[in-house]
Amino acid sequence: MTVAIKVSSVGKSVLSNEAELTILKDISFEVQSGQSVAIVGTSGAGKSTLMTLLAGLDIPTSGDIKLLGQSLSQLDDEARAQIRSESIGFVFQSFLLIPSLTALENVTLPAILRGEGEDIAKAKQLLESVGLSGRETHLPSQLSGGEQQRVALARAFMTQPRILFADEPTGNLDQSTAEHIIELLFEMNQKHGTTLVLITHDPKLAQRCERTLTINAGQINEEVKGG
Amino acid sequence: MSKQALRPNISGDNKSSGNRMILRWSWREIWQGQLWPVMAALTLIVACVVALSALAIRVEKVMTDQGRSMMAADLVFRSANPTPEFILQRAHDQNLVLSSQVRFQTMAFSDTGMQLVSVKSVESNYPLRGELLFNGADNQIHNQVKSGEVWIAERLLSLLELSIGDVIAIGDAELPISGVIESEPELAFNPFRTMPSVFIHQSDLDKTGAIQLGSRVQYRTLFKGEDSAISLLQSDYELQAGERWISEETQGRTADLMQKAKQYLSLTILMVILMASVTLVLTCQHYATSRANTVAMLKSMGASKQWLKRWLLSQVGLMFFTGVVAGSLIGLGLELLLRIPLAGILPENLPSYGWQPFAFGSVVALFIGLPALGIPLLRLLDTPAIAVLQSQMTAPSKKGLWLIAVPVVAFLFMYGNNSLVWMVSVGLVVLFVLLAGISYGLVHLFGRFKWGAAMTLALSRIKRSPKNSMMQLAALSGSLMLVAVIWLVRTDLLGDWQQTLPPDAPNVFAMNIAPYEQQEYLQKLDNENLDRSEGYPIVRGRLTEINGESTKEKMKGEGQGSEALRREINFTWRDALPVHNEVTAGEWRSSNGVSVEQDVANDLGIEIGDTLSFSVNSQSFSAVVNSIRIVDWQSMKPNFYFIFTPDVIAELPATWLVSFKIDDNENTLLNQLARDYPTVSLLDFRTMGGKIQAMLAQITWSLSVLAGLGVVSGVLLIFTLLRLSLYQRQREITLYRTLGASRQRISQTLWSEYGVMALAAGFVAVMGAEAIVFSLVKWGFKLEPTLHIGMWIVLPLLAMMIVFMSLVSVIKQLLKPLK
Repeated sequence: MTVAIKVSSVGKSVLSNEAELTILKDISFEVQSGQSVAIVGTSGAGKSTLMTLLAGLDIPTSGDIKLLGQSLSQLDDEARAQIRSESIGFVFQSFLLIPSLTALENVTLPAILRGEGEDIAKAKQLLESVGLSGRETHLPSQLSGGEQQRVALARAFMTQPRILFADEPTGNLDQSTAEHIIELLFEMNQKHGTTLVLITHDPKLAQRCERTLTINAGQINEEVKGG
Repeated sequence: MSKQALRPNISGDNKSSGNRMILRWSWREIWQGQLWPVMAALTLIVACVVALSALAIRVEKVMTDQGRSMMAADLVFRSANPTPEFILQRAHDQNLVLSSQVRFQTMAFSDTGMQLVSVKSVESNYPLRGELLFNGADNQIHNQVKSGEVWIAERLLSLLELSIGDVIAIGDAELPISGVIESEPELAFNPFRTMPSVFIHQSDLDKTGAIQLGSRVQYRTLFKGEDSAISLLQSDYELQAGERWISEETQGRTADLMQKAKQYLSLTILMVILMASVTLVLTCQHYATSRANTVAMLKSMGASKQWLKRWLLSQVGLMFFTGVVAGSLIGLGLELLLRIPLAGILPENLPSYGWQPFAFGSVVALFIGLPALGIPLLRLLDTPAIAVLQSQMTAPSKKGLWLIAVPVVAFLFMYGNNSLVWMVSVGLVVLFVLLAGISYGLVHLFGRFKWGAAMTLALSRIKRSPKNSMMQLAALSGSLMLVAVIWLVRTDLLGDWQQTLPPDAPNVFAMNIAPYEQQEYLQKLDNENLDRSEGYPIVRGRLTEINGESTKEKMKGEGQGSEALRREINFTWRDALPVHNEVTAGEWRSSNGVSVEQDVANDLGIEIGDTLSFSVNSQSFSAVVNSIRIVDWQSMKPNFYFIFTPDVIAELPATWLVSFKIDDNENTLLNQLARDYPTVSLLDFRTMGGKIQAMLAQITWSLSVLAGLGVVSGVLLIFTLLRLSLYQRQREITLYRTLGASRQRISQTLWSEYGVMALAAGFVAVMGAEAIVFSLVKWGFKLEPTLHIGMWIVLPLLAMMIVFMSLVSVIKQLLKPLK
């Protein structure tokens, strides 16, 4: 088993109202390839900040993060963007679909960003796998919240990412839809063998993951699961 | 730190597939997405500029053609000597059409009488422009003079008791009268310098014996051809003393009309561009703000800066191209519509406007679009990827500010020499700063009073987001101000021209009325209920000395004064100065005084208190200068260089002059007057007056239509701005609705907020407009400025009306609850 993410003594501080605010303190952990990890914690604990660092959207104030063997602190914006386009998938709480693109076009977007062509066949297949076959030409405004999140899921898997980051993927959904999305998420995760890192308040979602990391006062604790 | 990884090489097929997708996406963004308001503003700029400049080019060409018709050519060279061979050769080289003309005064004789006449000796191709209409013996209309023919003014027939076909002696030449002059293109406008006209052919000139050593003859060569060739001809030759070029821009009363109309045209176009620019800037900023999340999301998915630039550029490029095409088509349609009210006035074969309006529209859109879109989009590219998960507070960036130089440099290049434009621009900048502050102060002032809940909410909202509110207020009041300036300047210009040549201006001058006939003549006019002037006594004489010094030396000069010294001029005496002469120095006294016209006084160095000596029929007398006045030579009123107090010349023999107005169909009356008073000279200006009136009507309509278009585009732009502002508030407003606020409460809040802003903007705009119009009219167009009370009510009302229309159009959408 290879290490997908290695976090070593990472700290993150920001300037707020001319005072330094420490969000994360000396965090260290590893995520193996193919694992599913839930990051939980109270509001303002630093979950989103940790995810932005893990995904290479930002760099830590101290320490180092190795993503798929590459040290993120040593890469510039463009290099980190390239890693994301090649290896990372995202699912956001507010779906973030492009309103003027159809479901199919939204799914193909990551491939276009990589410079690949519009792989219509693959996109259709992905939409089918999330139960949206026949809705390819619909705009996001014509889809329900749950359907939009399914499109977002399909989009995230378009480039066969090695790591999938999900920020509160069920946060804007009702319970029944949320359960469906969770099923899909893990189904696709197993199918593609992706490493899954997600932020969630949903205890059911956290329980489905192999590991749960709790952030509290900028530090991390691991919840040990039985069995 | 930087280790730039290489992106994989992309195959051609993949690249074009990706490009097609980006183009599709861009197209949808323009028509359904966030780019729609930007697209609308850009299209509107192009449409307005194309329509305005197409119409302006047409109108300018028509006015130029009119002016040239009245000159009978595109350019005239005038001299006391034959036209230099150099000019004639150059004209031939430039493929210009030439026609030579010689003018002189001589005696015309019949068996029973003689009369001083003004003779024009012309070639067969005269006139090169305009129309010459002769009524021949056969009652047919003739348009040219042939060898052996002589065409005379109708009144000459009665003066010399001749009929068509009789022989008339013009100088030494005896020629049969071919017919009478119905109308001629070149009409002199000074009634005192108009002797009956006679046309002969150039080949008969020598027979008249008029060209002798020392004879006062005027040589003219008329030119017609391409504008560039005409300009080249003028610039190629250095004028000698006594020589002059005459063009439609220098010729008489129409020159002034055209000059001012052209200035107004370019000013209107500029103001519309300014208003449209403001709208474009604000819509572009709104667009960039709305795209921040998308850019962050794309970056989080791995989009490179290169890809993002391509994505943005394709949107901007497609939008620009579509905007220019759509705007040009709409502009063409607008121009067609605008021609409808001008149908009766514009000629049937309209001059083409060529490619210029389209080029101008595209260039304006590009130059304004570059900074308007470029600056926010360059900053958009810097949106950090992290913003997709966490909103960021970023310091305001200075990136791309250099793009502002593009329109600024273009503006200086195009309008750098135009003082009117500078007046408007500087006025706008100063007023924006001052008045934005005042309007904000007004809003705070309103806030001091107790209002209902909706109004209180509205005022507190305006105060809470001062920068936003100030920008909206400044944009709204600025646009309203420009709209008002466009309309008010038009009104003032037209008002002035109407005063100069009102429809009820006199069109007949009766001169040489003998003293014993004067009372009777005036009574006759009154019996016919004709609008007439007072009777003016006319004494012909010369100015001989200024403060004891002879005026002989000053005769050689070029100015008005010198010209006045070279011939006998008309004096008059009055108890008081005419009301249409403005006194600029001194004061009219009741005795031993003379009032002098300003240009003559300046030219001859005459001042208040100087003693001037005159000679009338070899009788000398003097008077002291008591006042200097401005005379509007363009007006159809009797005007004089020198006006005396009665005691100075009332005793001298005089004839009388009166001017009056008759209708086109009152020829019988005029003929009757001519028969009853055969010694009275009647100068009938109905035809020329009619021509000037027609031109004035044309310009009035053109300016009104252009002003109307300027106002409509301004209103549309303000409407777009307001709708944009409302949409920006959509989330906030629909959130209130979702939280349970009643439709009524939200409506009232919106009406109050935007109503307060409209009222403040309206008043601020009218103050600014009055200030700018004052300076434009006084120092730009050199007219008397006036206050426009009506605008103080109309503009705030207009502002309220636009707000009403904007709110009505979006309020339903805004009051829907969030999904």
